[in-house]
Amino acid sequence: MTGAAPPASPPAIVPLGEEGWTVVLGDRVDPEVHCRVAGLAERLAAAALPGVVELVPAYAAVTVFFDAEQVSAEAVRRAIARIAAAPNNEAAAPAPSRLVSIPVRYDGPDLADVASRTGLPADEVICRHAGREYEVYLLGFAPGFAYLGDLDPALVLPRRSSPRTRVPAGSVAIAGAQTAVYPLATPGGWHLIGSTPLVMFDPSRDPAALLRAGDRVRFVPER
Amino acid sequence: MIEVLTAPPFATIQDAGWRTGRAWGLPVSGAMDRASYARANALADNPRGAAAIEWALGAGTLRFTEAAVVGVRGWADVRVDAAGQSTPGTGDAGFAPEHALRVPTGGVLTITPDPRWRFIYVAVQGGIDVPLLMRSRSTYLPGGFGGFEGRRLRTGDRLALGNSGGSGTAVRGDGTTEAPGASPSAPARTPAPALADHLEVRVTRGPQWERFDAAARAAFFAGPYTVTPASDRMGYRLAGPVVLPREGSTLPSEAACPGAIQIPDGGQPIVLMPDGPTVGGYPKLAVVVRADLDRLAQCVPGAAVRFLPPAG
Repeated sequence: MTGAAPPASPPAIVPLGEEGWTVVLGDRVDPEVHCRVAGLAERLAAAALPGVVELVPAYAAVTVFFDAEQVSAEAVRRAIARIAAAPNNEAAAPAPSRLVSIPVRYDGPDLADVASRTGLPADEVICRHAGREYEVYLLGFAPGFAYLGDLDPALVLPRRSSPRTRVPAGSVAIAGAQTAVYPLATPGGWHLIGSTPLVMFDPSRDPAALLRAGDRVRFVPER
Repeated sequence: MIEVLTAPPFATIQDAGWRTGRAWGLPVSGAMDRASYARANALADNPRGAAAIEWALGAGTLRFTEAAVVGVRGWADVRVDAAGQSTPGTGDAGFAPEHALRVPTGGVLTITPDPRWRFIYVAVQGGIDVPLLMRSRSTYLPGGFGGFEGRRLRTGDRLALGNSGGSGTAVRGDGTTEAPGASPSAPARTPAPALADHLEVRVTRGPQWERFDAAARAAFFAGPYTVTPASDRMGYRLAGPVVLPREGSTLPSEAACPGAIQIPDGGQPIVLMPDGPTVGGYPKLAVVVRADLDRLAQCVPGAAVRFLPPAG
């Protein structure tokens, strides 16, 4: 999956408060950097370090949250450094990632606007949005909100100049090089091109979030 | 059962929050002032982690349909009327830092917080019985879930009491005295202490500490900053000296945490609070020390804050 050379120097490990360490693997949004993030997150998870509560992989960093009542910060830092410095052999056995299909009715209020701003017919916007597989870079902004990339370059637009105060749950949206499904009704500045009946986040479900970092996603047009 | 006779302006059910969930964007949530929340539970003879009422912005009245032991932590005037009458506090002369009391069946509890104290915690023996979601009873208002119907308490709400823990021993029966775990004497009703002219808050270095040069850090630690009215359970926006990172400090979003001090484009810091976002793309100059985040959470708009440089 990677083929990229491991970083020349060990990654920086910086504190995030008294119960977190952030391992920095890059400074940009980039599939290659994210591949290393996913690999490190996987190795950290497999190590099941004592006292570690949760791992939060992001675009270019992995944060390790631990319980300071159970383990010292320094012990966690040393363990992370050891794992991060270990030879990266994920190319030999890439972790299988899940492929999640999300049915979409492409009827969003911004579809016509996206078509006119990109100079593409609406059908072509739909084809290009549904025509590729995305990776979940990270979750955040709201519970269950997954940042998916990368979008077809022809669909890249800046966010709306005036965000909506309320975007309905299930809205399928694009902004920049990314796409996402709004899991809850929240304010939002992305362009709404469709909607899905899938429940992206349900606090009474286990797991509550439909997607997790590293999943692959495909949007399937519904007629 | 507790009947909310008059809801305070802003009250939610909270506990210690969600231990996990940040990996999929769920904030830690839970009590803003963890120490005061824990103390309220101790005053009510509850085990750690029982759900309590986080109470803010003004007075309110609760009626108890069953006798209960109640712990209140936070400067407030707290009155119990066994005959079921609302008895508003008399103001400044009646405030005490904490209360542990037994409310008889049919009794009415009137709580009038000191307006200089942002959150008080009202714990009832057995805990507030709301559904457990993802192993917490916290309310997450932006998502509209958790706690009591995912929302603030309103007048007319009826809260069930749980049966978690409680030794049930040694409560004195004279109406307004202390429960187990309380200090041995009834609290003196005294004026709340005058607040310092600014709160000193300890921090650790944030993940992007190195992106701020010496002059930027000096401005930050010189302060002072004022807590602005645009402050809530998600974050406290501060106003004061502008502090900016070096040029070209773009940051792909990465994990944040309660207490993280984000520096957005305008250079006015935002301290993330328990309902704050789990990831963010603003550089984090520093992170408030856990114990001091409780004290910062208690700052009302207009309060002045100064950050203390980390050692070393």
